[in-house]
Amino acid sequence: MHEKKSYGEDQLKVIFTREQIEEKIKELGSRISKDYAGSELIMIGVLRGSTYFLVDLTRSMSIPFAIDFISISHYSEQADSAGVVRITKDLDLSITGKNVLVVEDIVDTGLSLGYLLRNLKTRNPAGLKVCTLLNVEARRIVEVPVDYKGFDIPNIFVVGYGLDYNERYRNLQFIAEFDRSRKST
Amino acid sequence: MGIITISREFGSGGETIARLVSEKTGFMLINKDSIARGLSEHGIEIPAADLEQLDLENDQDRSAHRYIEAMHEYIYDLAIRNDLVILGRGGSILFKDYPPSIHVRVIAQFTQRVQRVMKTYNLNSDTAVKLVKEKDRGMISYYRQVFDVNWNNLRYYNLVLNTEYIELEDVADIIVGAYRIHAEPREVKDGPPKSEIEDSVFCTPAETAEAESEQFMHPSEEEFAHMLDFYRIRWEYEPNTFLLEWDSEGNVVEAFSPDFYLPDQDLYIELTTQKPKQAWKKNRKIRRMNELYPHVNVRLIDKRGFESLLKKHSIDYDQETDREKGE
Repeated sequence: MHEKKSYGEDQLKVIFTREQIEEKIKELGSRISKDYAGSELIMIGVLRGSTYFLVDLTRSMSIPFAIDFISISHYSEQADSAGVVRITKDLDLSITGKNVLVVEDIVDTGLSLGYLLRNLKTRNPAGLKVCTLLNVEARRIVEVPVDYKGFDIPNIFVVGYGLDYNERYRNLQFIAEFDRSRKST
Repeated sequence: MGIITISREFGSGGETIARLVSEKTGFMLINKDSIARGLSEHGIEIPAADLEQLDLENDQDRSAHRYIEAMHEYIYDLAIRNDLVILGRGGSILFKDYPPSIHVRVIAQFTQRVQRVMKTYNLNSDTAVKLVKEKDRGMISYYRQVFDVNWNNLRYYNLVLNTEYIELEDVADIIVGAYRIHAEPREVKDGPPKSEIEDSVFCTPAETAEAESEQFMHPSEEEFAHMLDFYRIRWEYEPNTFLLEWDSEGNVVEAFSPDFYLPDQDLYIELTTQKPKQAWKKNRKIRRMNELYPHVNVRLIDKRGFESLLKKHSIDYDQETDREKGE
């Protein structure tokens, strides 16, 4: 049984508890520490959803690394249709010749991650891999490599642990399915 | 010199038409056989039984690449001294900027083509259906591999003629007449006028999208195309039709044209904004496609998935609020 929580009109159904997330992150942290032992690693957080994950993931690692952040513009119906994706906050560090691990909160369509990887690849890193906490294969449009993943989830809308609904719920310590159709009474 | 290129759907009568046009104009007829003979005289032999079966991606010794390059050089060479009628071989692409030239596409309904093939080659309907499908696939793959263009895109042609209701002889006369109308005024001018849309064949997806926005069947498709452009992903709109179902006579009773093809992903995408209850038809088509064309990747994006792509509050668009609103 999934625990249900109500926040005003919003109904949240917990799908991963704080303990489950912690355990999964420990697992990922030790795998990454093992795989990147002895190499120069730069962890790149994709703003803004991945910040909570990046913090906990790096805390669970036992090897040295550098942290940087990147942010890109996203598509919306209202956006100028002639516009194209661009980087709104670029890296401060040079990644040329370094091992790069892109840290995402969620990978679904692969569109934005695909662009990001194409862009980063042009900077000639020694290695370029992806770590995501959540993976939604059902929504994939373009294939992207996911080297480390926490959980596979179906095509549902989730919040918590960095993921938001209108900027809300990022700070929840669990991940929950967000129900938009049903209103709590 | 003068060029008439004729590209045809297999079974549409294009070979006969090309021969007739060649006879009526006195232009030299260039087809697969005459090219093979010509190259063979230079000691260059075709590396596969059929050009359409060349596999350029796994062309380890580059023999297929070399043959195609030699073939193109050979045709260009002939064109310097001769007026040509070129049947197939991507003539419309090879000579797109070559004045005076006219590029013709000959088409006919699938069933008509099957019937013609049955008659011409004395085949039963099953074999003819198989052959026509095979040839269609071969053309698509050949154009994609050799020219990186979509064979079904009619923009590469000046003239498209459907042979279903016109005698082949008449079709040939139309082509000859069209060529004369096109070619003759040029001789009194200082030079050929520069085409205003010279590079239309190679315009960017964004330009194509803008020019073709009215061609989309559904607003959601246009929106999807914009999104792909935004992320700089190349796409083609309904480039291919897959045949799914035939009746006992070999007539096609069901076909499927996925909305998008993403060449870099080698992926077809079908959008459905229908509610799940009405989407079963498309789901069935996709299942059937997977059975018949297991090597083709096709993905259905349903209403829910599509909404979540576009809706403001999608989890993938969590940066929504810091997007450049003021710009």
